[in-house]
Amino acid sequence: MSETRSITFTFCLCLVCSLLLTAAATGLKPRQEANARLDRQKNVLKAAGLLSEGEKLKAPELEARFLRHIRPVSTDREGRPAREDGKNTLSFYLKTDGEGSGVEGYVLPIESRGLWGKIKGFIALEADGITVSGFTVYSHQETPGLGGEIEKNAFQQGFKGKKILDVAGTFRGLVIAKGKASEDPEHAVDGISGATLTGSYLSEGLMQTLKDYEPVSRSFRAKEGSRYLEKETP
Amino acid sequence: MKLKSSPYYKALTDPILGNNPINIQMLGICSALAVTVQLNTALVMGLSMTFVTAFSSLIVSSLRKSIPRNIRIIVELFVIATLVILTDQVLKAFLYDISKQLSVFVGLIITNCVVMGRAETYALGNPPLLSFCDGIGNGMGYSLVLVGVAFLRELFGSGSLFGIQVIPEALYAAGYANMGFMLLAPAAFILIGLFVWFQKAVLQGNGKRGLE
Repeated sequence: MSETRSITFTFCLCLVCSLLLTAAATGLKPRQEANARLDRQKNVLKAAGLLSEGEKLKAPELEARFLRHIRPVSTDREGRPAREDGKNTLSFYLKTDGEGSGVEGYVLPIESRGLWGKIKGFIALEADGITVSGFTVYSHQETPGLGGEIEKNAFQQGFKGKKILDVAGTFRGLVIAKGKASEDPEHAVDGISGATLTGSYLSEGLMQTLKDYEPVSRSFRAKEGSRYLEKETP
Repeated sequence: MKLKSSPYYKALTDPILGNNPINIQMLGICSALAVTVQLNTALVMGLSMTFVTAFSSLIVSSLRKSIPRNIRIIVELFVIATLVILTDQVLKAFLYDISKQLSVFVGLIITNCVVMGRAETYALGNPPLLSFCDGIGNGMGYSLVLVGVAFLRELFGSGSLFGIQVIPEALYAAGYANMGFMLLAPAAFILIGLFVWFQKAVLQGNGKRGLE
């Protein structure tokens, strides 16, 4: 009866292993989630230029800086204060001067398709509503060494100073070039060689995000950005 | 009984300098290329690997009399996979940044031939404590090569060790430049090749044995 024995043995092993893993996953979940939240906050700060590359902060300091300078906002599709039901909202972060009075820019969350999975990150714009001031990625499934380079500083630095409008004031968005962005340096970012597909998916995602948030950007261009700071009236 | 002649001592140290899993057994090369750009990641990878190899050998060896022959490979894989997922969860909870950098490679310990190889060739035929020592030894042998490669790659590729700049600014001002090549995977290939040569030809003197 060796078959019965094999089956019983496998069954018992499965039971023990799955119990162990369930215990570990549930037990460690709060810590893991706290880590993930802190990592997102770190990336918002980095995109907003409030955390320099290589600067290491302890968790409480990081959180304190985030709470001091960053304020989460949600609005409806037209950039007006969000409705109560929370449907059709745009959420983003305001970068404040830390005193609670001035707005220095805003940070938009990006959720783009990638080659292997979702790319999640942030793009920061200056208070003029036109100039990009930073870009970060905090979660992706791209191939390490190829598309995975999007998480590297070398690629992300390329976003600084790009404009989402052309000189005439029409919306152009941002594109990740194939290779060097020599043709259209105002609106294109240097791509990663060997990762053309990742680049074009991320381009689509960026374009979509920037289009969705155009009403917000428009209000910043009209110098009305600080109104998001005011307490939202119901 | 002398320490050196004890079988535990032999099981522990032989894979470190003698029968090294990377240099001699030629196992686990894939991850050795991928995670050796920085010392931090290499060290954590080495420790995770040592943990998994040691405990999978221990568990497989304790069960070796009751594991049915026909499903032993699946059972080994089961034990290894469980340990790897546990390691991954713990890293995510306590060393989040490093676990992000290691990305898929912690998960890929499952497919690392060192772990499976030790379970299949050693743990199935030896008592638990001896297998545990063998697992630790192999894990450390693997870590040693990883840390060695990472040391050279980080030093020459980024001018730092454990993320701390060690090559002074003055040297850069005088025209020294980091070797960008060291950050790419082929550099690890060349370094591992040199390690293999060093161990075979210099430490073991195998270069001459080939002529016999």
